[in-house]
Order: sequence, then structure tokens, then C-alpha cells
Amino acid sequence: MRLKAAAVILLASALGLTGCKLVKTADKDREAEAGAFDPDRLVAEMWDGKVIPYLEQRAAPLRDVLAATAADPDAAGRKHGYKAKQGNAPWTFIARVDGTIVAEETKSRAAYVDVDVDGDAKADVRVAIGPAIRGTALRDSLDFVDFNAFKNQIEWAQFGKSFNTYVNGTLLEKLPRENLTGKTLTATGAYPLPAKGQLPQMVPATIAIGG
Amino acid sequence: MNITRRLITVGFAAVLAAGVAMPAFAADLIAIITPSHDNPFFKAEAVGAEAKAKELGYETLVLVHDDDANKQSQLIDTAIGRGAKAIILDNAGADASVAAVQKAKDAGIPSFLIDREINASGVAVSQIVSNNYQGAQLGAEEFVRLMGEKGNYVELVGKESDTNAGIRSKGYHDVIDEYPDLKMVAQQSANWSQTEAYSKMETILQANPDIQGVIAGNDTMAMGAIAALQAAGKNDVIVVGFDGSNDVRDSIKAGGIKATVLQPAYAQAQMAVQQAHDYITTGKTPAEEKQLMDCVLINADNADKLETFALAD
Repeated sequence: MRLKAAAVILLASALGLTGCKLVKTADKDREAEAGAFDPDRLVAEMWDGKVIPYLEQRAAPLRDVLAATAADPDAAGRKHGYKAKQGNAPWTFIARVDGTIVAEETKSRAAYVDVDVDGDAKADVRVAIGPAIRGTALRDSLDFVDFNAFKNQIEWAQFGKSFNTYVNGTLLEKLPRENLTGKTLTATGAYPLPAKGQLPQMVPATIAIGG
Repeated sequence: MNITRRLITVGFAAVLAAGVAMPAFAADLIAIITPSHDNPFFKAEAVGAEAKAKELGYETLVLVHDDDANKQSQLIDTAIGRGAKAIILDNAGADASVAAVQKAKDAGIPSFLIDREINASGVAVSQIVSNNYQGAQLGAEEFVRLMGEKGNYVELVGKESDTNAGIRSKGYHDVIDEYPDLKMVAQQSANWSQTEAYSKMETILQANPDIQGVIAGNDTMAMGAIAALQAAGKNDVIVVGFDGSNDVRDSIKAGGIKATVLQPAYAQAQMAVQQAHDYITTGKTPAEEKQLMDCVLINADNADKLETFALAD
């Protein structure tokens, strides 16, 4: 019992450690002094301890998020998404996809699969499978990272790109690339509020393509 | 003696303060400082800020620094001397402007930055900038599509002291470099200038006659590039800009330039004045200092709706 408690504390402190390393001004200053802004390392260090737990905790089934968004985008955003307090960025939503691939585009470098989640054989979401990934949806879905903690837009952009690089290297490169249509797919990811009539364009943070 | 002098100084300051605080004599002043209005983008900012300031009952002092940090410093002194209540600033360099904004702050005058960032936070009250990375990615995706994912191209980059030049270039390359059949044969700075872009493009064409595309960091450079291309009889080169000016809109409609990215310059300037007004009247600061405004792709499909850096619904 005591051992278990100790282990929990140890685990918690380990998580806490990885958790508080990032994008705080003090760390940023230290990095500036060292002359080494390393966004790939920032993302790698926050991924398991902060990013995945946050996304898993916030994510709702895609069908629910889409229905809520159709009713009231702002209310849906507050419940299922995030956006910066100032400026005019759209909501970025966080959702879980569990469905069947109904279309695939793997010739383009910005490859994707279209997934049906409600059994009507029509696509409900477009999931990026790389290697080229558009946008910065993963970064923009996180409530614990902030443009204001970065030196300028350039570092903020590099940080956003590093999320895409990370999922591509750790997840997407390992996915099958052929005959995907008809297979099942589960994923948790983020997408910006889509334009009217367009599919949500999701960047996955976890993904599995099954039989 | 010393004490007397200090007392006199204090008294004098009190008289000054009382004078400044009495709005009955004249409306409060807002200074609006931007780069040269030769570029319609900066003119739209100044016009947008001035209109909003007048609507809110302010007098305005509209000045241009011509991208000269020394001149900017003098203009800030002018604004301080005239007792401005706030400064709306599109600055003359991310590093060089920090001291000027700090000087205004030390004099008790808050600054509200638009369009360009400075490399410091906590000095200005607001920094409202376009989401240049998002906008550049939109422009680059359209460029890639128009090029058919292949061909030789030239990139014209903006002024190096401006963070926006670097961020747009990065946004372009983060997309374009994913396509190995798109080859950049030349990359040069034309310092946001139309005439410089024209002469740089002429020179580049002599060395690289076989080009299919030009992607420019702003619209004035895109205008310079297409003029040089047309003068050389190259009418089928894809040109893409950034800003959303009426000049480029007209070129798109005439089949010249193919696309640009709209920055909501007018709305941004008005938002800055509103935040200045809130700060002056209530002391309220925005929830976040650095604020991003998303950009919109403009091409033949929606060019008709574009007017003075704003898109009609």
C-alpha cells in the first residue's frame, strides 16, 4: 500500500516535471541565453505528459462535437475546443473518431483518408496521414500553450510545425498506404472550425487503422 | 534652494498635468504612426485608425516614419510633446523599435501596435498582427495548385528587419518545400518595394529565363514582378502576392496576378484604436498582448468582393 502510494507520487512528480518544462517565460529566457530555441524538443518533451492526456480528456465523439457545432459553434467551442482569447482565430475542436474509411488520397504528399462515423457511408471527417500536414490544429487546440510566451510569430510557427513533424515521425509514417478504403479507423485529433460545406480537416494525435 | 526648486518643479508638473487632463479645451489626441502611405496597405491602416479615432471623439496626428527607426524615434518624441493619449504604431523594425515604444511608455503614453511585432513583450499594451504564417500557407497552397506541383520559381522576400518578411517566407516554404518538383531558382529581397521588385525581377530573368512562377512577400513586390515579366513578354508566369490591395485585385480581375492573401488591415487598425480607447477611458488592457488576425485567400473567385483591405460578405 505504502509502496503503491510512493509509486504514484513518483509518477506524478515525473509527469509534473515533464509538464512544466515548456513555454514558460523563464525557460524561454534560458533558451534565448543558450541561443537554442528547439521546438522539436519542446514538443517531444510535452507530448506524453501533457498533450496526450489533455486531448484524451477533452475529446468527445466526433458525432457529438459536430452536432453541438451545428447548433451553436461558440458553445460547442467552449465545451469541445479552444481558441486564443484575443484575435479572430476560429475555434479548434478536439474529437475522437471511430469509423470506416470511405475514401483515400495517397498520391498527394498531403495524403488523407475520409472517414464515416455514423454508418451512412458518407464522409464525416478528413484525417491527414502525411507526410505533408497542413495548418497548426494540434498546437491551436492546446489551452496551455500561448503565442505570448514566444519571442515572435516565427518561433510560434516553428513550434506549430513541430507538432506535425512529431506525429508524422512517430505515428503516420508507420501507417499502411494501400487499400485503405473499407478499413476501420480510430483516432483522436484536432481540427479548425471548417468552412461551410467542407469536411473537418483533422490532424490526428493518436491513430490506428484496422482490418 | 534645492527644496524650493523641487517644489517649483512639482508645482509646474501639477499645472501641466491639470492642463492635459482638461478635455474642455480640446479633444484628446491619438497619434497614428505608420510606414509611408505610398504602399496602400499602410495608407489603409492610417485611414482606418483615423476614422475610428474620430468616431470616438479624438483628434488625430497622422505621421509616417518611412521605415527609418531614427525618424520613428523623433515622431514618438513629437507625440509625447503634443501630449498624445495613445500611439497607434506600425513600427520600423522588430528590434529597433523596442526603445522607441519604451520611451513612450516611460512618458506615460501607451502604444498599440498593428501589423508588425516587436521583439519584446510588456512594452506595448497590444500587438495586433495578421496571422502571417497561416496567410502564407494559404498563398503557398494556391501557388502549388496553380503551378501543378512542379516548375521553376522565384521568391521575392520583404525587408529583413521586419519579422513579417521572415514569417511569410517560412510559411511559403513549409508548404512549397514538400513538393520536390518545385525548384526555387532565385530568392532575393526587394524590401517590400515595387520599383525594387521590378529591377530585381529584370535581373533575375536575365540569369533564369526559364521560370514558371513568382511568389512575393507582399503585393507591391508582386506588382513590380508582374510588370517586369510583362515587359519581357512573359505573360504566363504565375504570380502570387500577399496583402490584398486594390491594385492586385484589379490585376487578378484582368488575368495578371493570380492570387494574394488578404490581411484585414482596416479592421486591425480600428481594433487597435478601440483597445486604446478602452485603455484611456477605463484602464482596461486586452486579455492578451499579442493578438493574431487570420488572413483570407483572394483569387479570381472572390476578388470582386475586395475593397480597401476588407472583404464584403
